[in-house]
Amino acid sequence: MAETAAGGKPLSWRLIDGVDRLVAAAWPRGLHGMNGYLFLLPAVALVFILVIGLGYMVEFSLHELDLATYRLKEAYSLTNYQTFFERPVYIRVLWRSLLAAAIVTLITLVLAFPYAYLMVRTTSAATRKFLLVALFLPFFIGQVVRAYGWLIILGKEGLLNSIVTGIGLPPLDLIYNYPAVILGLVQYMLPFAVLLLTPAVAAIGEDIELASESLGATWIGTFRHVVIPMAKPGIIGAGIVVFTLTLTDFAMPEILGGGTSDFIANAIYDSYFQISNIGLGSALSIVLTLVGSALVALMLMIAGTGTLGFAERKS
Amino acid sequence: MSDNRDPFRLNRRRFLKGSALATGALALPQFAFADGHTKKPSELIVRAWGGAWGESLQAGVADPFTEATGIPVRLDFTEDNEIKPKIWAAVDQGRVPPIHVNWDTTTNATISALRGVTVDLGDLKGLDGLLSIAKPTGIDGWPLVNTYSYVYVCAYRPEAFPDGPPESWRVMLDPKFKGRVALYDDGIGFNPIAVIAGGGSMSDIPDNMEPGYQFYRDLKENEPLLGEDADFTTWFQNGEIDIACTISVNARAAKQKGINVEWTVPKEGCKVDTDGLWIPKGLPANEEYWSKRFIEFAITREAQEKWCSLLGLPPVYPGLEPPADLAGDPAYPTAPADFEKLVSVPSPVLVENQPIWFSKFSEIMQG
Amino acid sequence: MVEIRDVSKAFGDVLAVDDASLALPKGEFLTILGPSGCGKTTLLRMIAGFIRPNAGEILINGAAVDNVPPYRRSIGMVFQRLALFPHMTAAQNVAYPLKMRGFDPVTIPDRVSEYLRLVRLDGFEKRRPQELSGGQQQRVAIARALSFSPDLLLLDEPLSALDKKLREEMQLEFRRIQQELGVTTINVTHDQREALVMSDQIVVMSEGRIQQSDSPEAVYRAPSNRFVANFIGLTAMFKGAVEVSGDGGILVRVGDTALKARAQGELGNGTAVDCALRAEQVRILDDPANGDATAFENVVTGEVRQRIFEGDRMVYEISVPALADAVLFAFDHDPLHHAEHRPQSQVKLGWNARDFFAFPSDRT
Repeated sequence: MAETAAGGKPLSWRLIDGVDRLVAAAWPRGLHGMNGYLFLLPAVALVFILVIGLGYMVEFSLHELDLATYRLKEAYSLTNYQTFFERPVYIRVLWRSLLAAAIVTLITLVLAFPYAYLMVRTTSAATRKFLLVALFLPFFIGQVVRAYGWLIILGKEGLLNSIVTGIGLPPLDLIYNYPAVILGLVQYMLPFAVLLLTPAVAAIGEDIELASESLGATWIGTFRHVVIPMAKPGIIGAGIVVFTLTLTDFAMPEILGGGTSDFIANAIYDSYFQISNIGLGSALSIVLTLVGSALVALMLMIAGTGTLGFAERKS
Repeated sequence: MSDNRDPFRLNRRRFLKGSALATGALALPQFAFADGHTKKPSELIVRAWGGAWGESLQAGVADPFTEATGIPVRLDFTEDNEIKPKIWAAVDQGRVPPIHVNWDTTTNATISALRGVTVDLGDLKGLDGLLSIAKPTGIDGWPLVNTYSYVYVCAYRPEAFPDGPPESWRVMLDPKFKGRVALYDDGIGFNPIAVIAGGGSMSDIPDNMEPGYQFYRDLKENEPLLGEDADFTTWFQNGEIDIACTISVNARAAKQKGINVEWTVPKEGCKVDTDGLWIPKGLPANEEYWSKRFIEFAITREAQEKWCSLLGLPPVYPGLEPPADLAGDPAYPTAPADFEKLVSVPSPVLVENQPIWFSKFSEIMQG
Repeated sequence: MVEIRDVSKAFGDVLAVDDASLALPKGEFLTILGPSGCGKTTLLRMIAGFIRPNAGEILINGAAVDNVPPYRRSIGMVFQRLALFPHMTAAQNVAYPLKMRGFDPVTIPDRVSEYLRLVRLDGFEKRRPQELSGGQQQRVAIARALSFSPDLLLLDEPLSALDKKLREEMQLEFRRIQQELGVTTINVTHDQREALVMSDQIVVMSEGRIQQSDSPEAVYRAPSNRFVANFIGLTAMFKGAVEVSGDGGILVRVGDTALKARAQGELGNGTAVDCALRAEQVRILDDPANGDATAFENVVTGEVRQRIFEGDRMVYEISVPALADAVLFAFDHDPLHHAEHRPQSQVKLGWNARDFFAFPSDRT
């Protein structure tokens, strides 16, 4: 064995040996089976911190703001939640966020799936490279910059309108409205969805599709009965990511919405910063968290427990 | 950069903070020449608004102050709404606040004063000689110093108004301007005006805001754009809007950039308001000392003249001439007659009601 | 039933299938046999319709299928990796083609159980593919490919991933099902045993060309060229030259020795030839049970270089100095009872002319 040759062991072996000795010294012997779990600690710590933050928010949300001192009152009350339900604006804004999340998720998945499919199936290395670059390039450009990019393209004197007016038509109202926000969000979410769908599509052997075809299915039938069902885990995963990211988005409605297409995140921001009401802001955050979590749970329930690869029996 | 750099600054800071607490509020800086209470900090951080605003503060106050004292001044462009909770949290938790001087709207500054996070500025030199609007109202002492007043004017694109400037704010409701009207995203500067334009009067404020809300509802039909200072300039520049309620400084900055923008005070009037400077609690004694010197400098004749003429706003230092382009401009009130055309809401009313107005505004506009 | 006429297919510069022609009568089992990369899978996929030929035409039931998409061809196919649908049960997999091809929904359940019974999987209807063994998955795949009664069944090396024992079991199973249904079948494999066991007809392919198309016995007993002779069985190949050419029998000189051989093709005097000799045709004459030297037309003496024990037989590698050190192979089918020939020992070998092929040498 390599150990007999002194100093002949690769550096990585020696490093691991050292770590093992350290663990052996610091850890009761009986617990050595748990060593692997040590690597979970940072993740657990992060989640724990998040839970603490959420705990604080729940606490804040239960106190009303005192306008005389701009501090939360000592007494517990449900005033902030009452405000949420009594002011139609919050329900409306939440509904608008949910609707946008649903629309954006749908459009993004419909656009992302063929993209991922083509990227996996293309036999041309050049095409795949182009698709990959086109996919990753936007990742290097932040959401805010991209939103401003849309202003340049869609503005009253923007690229598109200069073409429209160039052929003698009146300029179009393309930004500062709900569709503009949806458009910006779809563009922002597309790479996420493609990245999440690609492994799912890649896992479907090309033979499976040929088999379906030879068994009598047109390509539409193959897509409906074989490709989509087999890619379901990826589709659900991508859907959940896009849905939650959209539901909680701030920048697109802020920049492309012209101030009148706010999402719930903008309302939370306004509560925290514009009117300095940390209690109301926390209450809105809690409501958003609850609604978002409930919907994700619902999606997973409808899609089935095995969707994300859990509880799937493997031979 | 600074000749005051001290490798032990952190330790000293902590020590000074302890000693400042020990000596308490009575430890007047003037009597502490000998020790660290007047030691120059390596820099002063002043929160400011960007664009034309920041440039004017830099040239009118910060640069001359650095020249006079050797202390570099750094402008921090964190949003006013975002710095507020940071300062509040720092004071609550006994940490050193992130900035030395906050340049703030009088309403927000007063809210911070109510929260108890401001240092009293009553001992500043030169307060006595200022116009009366320099002193905050509805609150004891000098938790802040107002430094100039400004007007939320009716800015417009002359090309869209070939028959001359708009005479009434109600022109915003004209379907002709659908999607081409802009307000601040919280409605600030327009709340009292909306009441009057909606058929109410000053006496309705703050108890009967309904005419104003009705005006908002009508305006909502016209799909207004909502934004912040920088947005207005961009929108005028890109031809996105024809008419806006914005601070005259933004309109003037756009005009100075060569954008075709004019402004006027319609018959319902315009809201006049003030901005001020304040210092958060919890600074080391020497930093607080020099922060006070900074504000003291900002209300000298020299600084007021330069700063306010760059902004194009009437200073709190009396007797200064307006910039040539603003002489006789209704957005630059000097004579009592000018002020009669403007609408001023007392600070305490604003502090108490502005959050409600903001909420109502967003409720209507987000519909 | 199936006819392929002068079909060629190139991928870029590579000619995958080069002018292939074959014909298969209804109900027969044909195997395309060849090493990997010989073009057999390409040919199969052209029949299935996944790939379009560059030249030539394919006829099924007498009609050219050039413009018929795969889903309109009446072809069932079993894939190398089976390509079962993992999200469907065994029954759903088998029902899939019936649904896609618009069978009357009322008849589908019966058909599904009929075919699952045919492949002896009754009782496994509700299992998903990943809950079935390798052999059971094979059975689902074949039931799925047959449930809609296709005119033609294509097998794309479906057995290659199985272990030997299961593979041999499934070979017989496939053959049984094929004969029971009488479905015309084209199988593709690189496994000569599989080809010999299952087929009515074998097509040997190499480098895109069809080398021989014949019954299993003919391919085995009368290889038409050196590739086929070499590919099937454990075959010794060595060079020689024709010395005397006559009716059927010829004499070939190899090294110092003249051997009686069987001419495959026109071979005049002096022609350079490749000689092929299968291991099982060679007798080790020192073993008493193998008869004596007079029974064989060719007898030589060689030296054992290596012996390999394979359980049911011993394989000898024998170098023969009199044949210019050519290396021959020979089997001993009862190695535990007979004399073992150790390396370096001398052995006498004999074989007959009809088992000794001489092909014109087209390569050096």
